Amino acid sequence: MRLELRGITKRFGSFTANDRIDLTVEPGQIHSLLGENGAGKTTLMNVLFGLLHPDEGEILIDGEPVRFANSGDAVRRGIGMVHQHFMLVPVFSVTENVVLGFEPTKSLNRVDYKRATEDIVRLSAQFNLQVDPDATVENLPVGLQQRVEILKALSRDAELLILDEPTAVLTPQETDALMAIMRSLAEAGKSILFITHKLKEVRAVADVITVIRNGRVVGSAEPTATEGELASLMVGRDVELTVEKSAFSPGENVFEIRDLVVRDDRGLVKVNGVSLDVRAGEIMALAGVQGNGQTELVEAIAGMRHVESGTILLNGRDVTNKTPREVLDAGLGHIPEDRQRDGLVLSMSVADNLVLNTPRRAPFARRGTRNLAAVHDNAQKQVRDFDIRTTSVDEPVASLSGGNQQKVIVARELSRPLAFLMASQPTRGLDVGSIEYVHRQMVNHRNQGNAALIVSSELDEVLALGDRIAVMFDGRISGIVDPTTSREAIGLLMAGTAGATDE
Amino acid sequence: MSVIESTAAVVSNRRVRVIAVMMGVLGVFSLIVFAVGSPSVAHSSFLFNPVNLSESAPWHVGTLTLNSRLADLVLALIMIGLAVETYVRRPARGVMVRFGGVAVLFLLTLLIWAARTPGPSPVSFVNLTALLIGSSEVTMVLVFGSLSGVMCERSGVVNIAIEGQFIGGAFVGSMLASTTHNFFYAAIGGALIGGAIGWILAFFALRYLSDQIIVGVVLVTMLGSLSSYLNLQVFTPFPQYNTGNLAPNLAIPLLSKIPVLGPVLFNQSGFFYLMLVLIGVISFALFKTRYGLHVRAVGEHPRAAATVGIDVVRVRYINVILGGAIAGIGGVAFMASQGQFQPNYTSGLGYIALAAMIFGRWRPSGAVVASVIFGLSVYLSYTLTSYQVPVSLYILQMFPYLITIAVVAGLIGRVRAPAADGVAYQHD
Repeated sequence: MRLELRGITKRFGSFTANDRIDLTVEPGQIHSLLGENGAGKTTLMNVLFGLLHPDEGEILIDGEPVRFANSGDAVRRGIGMVHQHFMLVPVFSVTENVVLGFEPTKSLNRVDYKRATEDIVRLSAQFNLQVDPDATVENLPVGLQQRVEILKALSRDAELLILDEPTAVLTPQETDALMAIMRSLAEAGKSILFITHKLKEVRAVADVITVIRNGRVVGSAEPTATEGELASLMVGRDVELTVEKSAFSPGENVFEIRDLVVRDDRGLVKVNGVSLDVRAGEIMALAGVQGNGQTELVEAIAGMRHVESGTILLNGRDVTNKTPREVLDAGLGHIPEDRQRDGLVLSMSVADNLVLNTPRRAPFARRGTRNLAAVHDNAQKQVRDFDIRTTSVDEPVASLSGGNQQKVIVARELSRPLAFLMASQPTRGLDVGSIEYVHRQMVNHRNQGNAALIVSSELDEVLALGDRIAVMFDGRISGIVDPTTSREAIGLLMAGTAGATDE
Repeated sequence: MSVIESTAAVVSNRRVRVIAVMMGVLGVFSLIVFAVGSPSVAHSSFLFNPVNLSESAPWHVGTLTLNSRLADLVLALIMIGLAVETYVRRPARGVMVRFGGVAVLFLLTLLIWAARTPGPSPVSFVNLTALLIGSSEVTMVLVFGSLSGVMCERSGVVNIAIEGQFIGGAFVGSMLASTTHNFFYAAIGGALIGGAIGWILAFFALRYLSDQIIVGVVLVTMLGSLSSYLNLQVFTPFPQYNTGNLAPNLAIPLLSKIPVLGPVLFNQSGFFYLMLVLIGVISFALFKTRYGLHVRAVGEHPRAAATVGIDVVRVRYINVILGGAIAGIGGVAFMASQGQFQPNYTSGLGYIALAAMIFGRWRPSGAVVASVIFGLSVYLSYTLTSYQVPVSLYILQMFPYLITIAVVAGLIGRVRAPAADGVAYQHD
């Protein structure tokens, strides 16, 4: 299928999310749409998939203009979408999910599951997408769930597949497998529109690259372009993709956990005997696919979750099962995973959020009353030092962009004396510019001889920042390696298939 | 994935143990209060012939006389045995069946204890067949209500207004039955008013994304007051519109002659048979048809359903209105088993029906089994006062609600509700 977008414009009120976007996808082509979060990629895809209606412009399929009233129309015209958050019903079987909405039926409106299963088996074989049709989707690993999504699109005779940030939840091996699938689909004549912000993947798999920024197409590139060239197109200025670190000279152990066992809200053991230590002047990066216990580990360290057994030592002090207040006073700086839930009070001002963990201390409070002048002065200084873009320090923090919200947290945590910094997914959802900024702050902190634990499911981030890399799988540390280790080896540890610790 | 599998296993293990402990508590209670609480010489006697034996049954089953303490002892030990077996073996399937069995045994031990006569010779009798027939009225209403709940909640809308739909159906049903002398019209009227109440709930829940629980409770309160007012304004001055509406029993040839089961299941009103048909139809529709697949998808993951072209809001409207209609017919059925409308006489049966639906794991078949157990316990609380029970009527009437709380508290985590149950859906 040849898909052409001509001058697509979509406005939300006074905000133009897509501004006269032109794009052509040829049959059998893998076309990458590269752009930062908020650049308008998702809006464009929703327009293309019939979920939104463009204010201007037209969509042409094989030269013929089409209009989609809803996603059903788009599907009927051969467009299939693999959503970033899978659109699968967890308690349904693979078959039920694949046929949903397009069920073959027998008499009395009954679903013909026999025929449906046969169709799936045939499609699986044809496109080399093996999956058990009777398995319940929630019991499948994420990579297989994604296959179900692709099968779902193919079973509706999709000629053009839209993949929206498909690698966000995959291990490196699963990512490689997906790219192989994408290539074989393209060889079979399917067109693929691959939306991502990951430069490496674009270069690995795309035939053509279109870069969008602030809702506009700002250029196209060949897959031979360097990552630096792509990044500057995407951001609109030159960016440093690698952060300079001073020589690694670790000092004493600052932080230590021994045999930690932590349960989640449902009472399941999610951290199962984890031991880890972090030295002064060192960044320990904790890698792993999401959901392998990292969240619970971080919450336990921060005093937000009960520790069942084991100990946490911070600067030689036992902080196991202390309150968050006590842990912070012991010298922990915490950049939480969910910044809007655990890091900020969104309706409060930038200034108040900047003193959120020190409100009762001088100079911000005296004899039980707040010193608003000190709070205000502090805010002015932090906004300047950390380059927080806000119209005023009295603005509610909710009105800031994601990158600037994260800067507020970083400023708050790094501007007080810390024994140990713990950052969880510190750059999730941030644009390249903000990522660069946050990374530089963390490395500076480490270069000054401080200890840090950085939890991330982004392998690039782990490799860029870590002096040592611990990999977590199924509640345990599956290995601790140094950052020269190959991506493949770390990927295997993330999948729990290799157990060797090479330290 | 190993993480997920071990997760599921651990969770169900914990819940199975909670259920096993609850079963054990019931067993020990029976043992101490009912078995040990009966004098060693006391006897309990049971009859099985229906009261009007001559016309409905050409059979005769003799009287069963048991030593109260011995019988309760044996049953209590079976209950404890089941509890221990469940706790130790943690069976993957059939846990609810075991729990249901223990609940029935509990009611039986209660009955034996209540029917005890102090001496060795039987003085009074408990008629088991009559008991089952009597409880079938309540059970029927609970089945209608819980089927209504299944319809609504499978599509993702909590219908807590079932009680209100009962009241509305009963009121309209009584009026129509009195004026037309035709229960078919009464049922249609009940379905319409129930469906209309369902529509109001759906309208606020789906159009204005209001909190479904609050809208539901408001509807129940409103209908309770409205029906009391209309009762005063219409039925009190014109009693001819609210009399003589007892639905006749239609005995099914041959089947109604089966001992015990015949008069209980096959010598009932048309509403009862309609209920039996509905159970089958709804089970089939939800789990075999395309429509059912869409409903369940909408209740679990509305956004996923929407992306494949299913109109989420439409499916929910249809199911909430159909569910309301079913509860409305349930109200008519209750009225027709009592003979007339009375304000507030459903006394919370709508909420018990919801509990039965949860107990029955959002499945029609499960909801029916739960309704039978709940129906029996409600009916027993009405009738136990005529036996040797040294407890106040009001305490006894708390009994079904206590079971409801135990069921909901202990079992609500046991099975998952539809994931999007009660969650407003907004298309963007």
